[in-house]
Amino acid sequence: MELDDIKQRLEHLDGKLDATLRLNRSVLDSRVLDKVDRALRRLGWVLGLELALGVATVLLTGSFVADHVRQLRFLVPGLVLHIFVIAQIGMLVRHAVATRQIDFGAPIVEIQRRIETLRVSMIRTTMWTLLLAPLLWPPLLIVALKGFLGIDAYVVLGAPYLAANLALGLAVIAIGLLVSRLFADRLSGSPIVRHLMRDLAGTNLAAAQGFLASLSRFETDDPGAS
Amino acid sequence: MKVKGGMTVSKPQQESHSIRADRFVGLLDENRKILYKVAGAYAQDSSDRQDLVQEMVVQLWRSFNRYDAGARFSTWMYRIALNVAISWFRAETRHARTFVPAGEAILEVAAAPAESKELEDGLRVLWQAIDGLDALDRALVVLYFDGRSHEAIADVLGISSTNVGTKINRIKTRLRRDLSHPA
Repeated sequence: MELDDIKQRLEHLDGKLDATLRLNRSVLDSRVLDKVDRALRRLGWVLGLELALGVATVLLTGSFVADHVRQLRFLVPGLVLHIFVIAQIGMLVRHAVATRQIDFGAPIVEIQRRIETLRVSMIRTTMWTLLLAPLLWPPLLIVALKGFLGIDAYVVLGAPYLAANLALGLAVIAIGLLVSRLFADRLSGSPIVRHLMRDLAGTNLAAAQGFLASLSRFETDDPGAS
Repeated sequence: MKVKGGMTVSKPQQESHSIRADRFVGLLDENRKILYKVAGAYAQDSSDRQDLVQEMVVQLWRSFNRYDAGARFSTWMYRIALNVAISWFRAETRHARTFVPAGEAILEVAAAPAESKELEDGLRVLWQAIDGLDALDRALVVLYFDGRSHEAIADVLGISSTNVGTKINRIKTRLRRDLSHPA
């Protein structure tokens, strides 16, 4: 059967679709559209809350840095946290703005490229967050103890304890990378965990970059695209 | 106020929510075949097709305030439906869908059993034709089967019409080869 034979057969059915297809207006009117609007508003509130929490954390870490600007042992962990939180907020805002700007009514190649480029950026952010998070525990401990309780972690816990925590963080990163590369595609549990593991292993990044390459081939008519 | 496709339309910002929703549902109903065709090309299973139709409708409604009433609704709808379908087709995980209670479909096939079977057979033939194609070539074939011109296909996809012609010829050759030497 040729492509045009299939086209003719589908055209014959096309006439029947008008008579047989029915849009369930009652579902659309009362449920879907209102719920979509409510879900969108909820999403806006969640994003606003995330942003407010982020800004509050920046103010707290900024205030800590300003208070300990002459004490290098507190200044460094404070600055590390401060920069990390600012970077996280920056990425959150950037991704939220980019998501809102995607107009699904634009041509397919353009939109798919924007979606995939955004996905690459989100995957990279998740990868770096997952990689850096274990290393942030010692600075967080130092800053939280000093900032909230006035306790000097270097004195109470000792430098060897903090160094051991840092080493543990590095070990967690190495093990996380190894486990994700070995098992990311074999996990059968939560889809979110599997997705995070695939982000960490770089599988999702490779797939997104592969699709961007196919989009370019599709646009320029490289035979490899078909 | 403008008159488009037999429907009176006005600027979205001047409309109340219910008028806007009515206008949206009216336009959607006029073009409901597009939902069926695109979902049929990207989802083989009927419950997956229902899910995909729902995602398309959600995205169409979310984007409706950006719809330019001067443009053809069917072209705009094809773009959104195909963009959603391609993303859906490529997604690793399926999101939890909570907008419509289980058992209630947005798009219903209300046909006599014989006609319903004929439509299912039609989808099966479509599926056989596009089975080995990637998400982007599938979009092109859906538009081609719908009788769209090369220029109209190029407009929806965002590529040149020459490129569309080349791709259609290549897909025809490939299909001929596949059907004469099935795997």
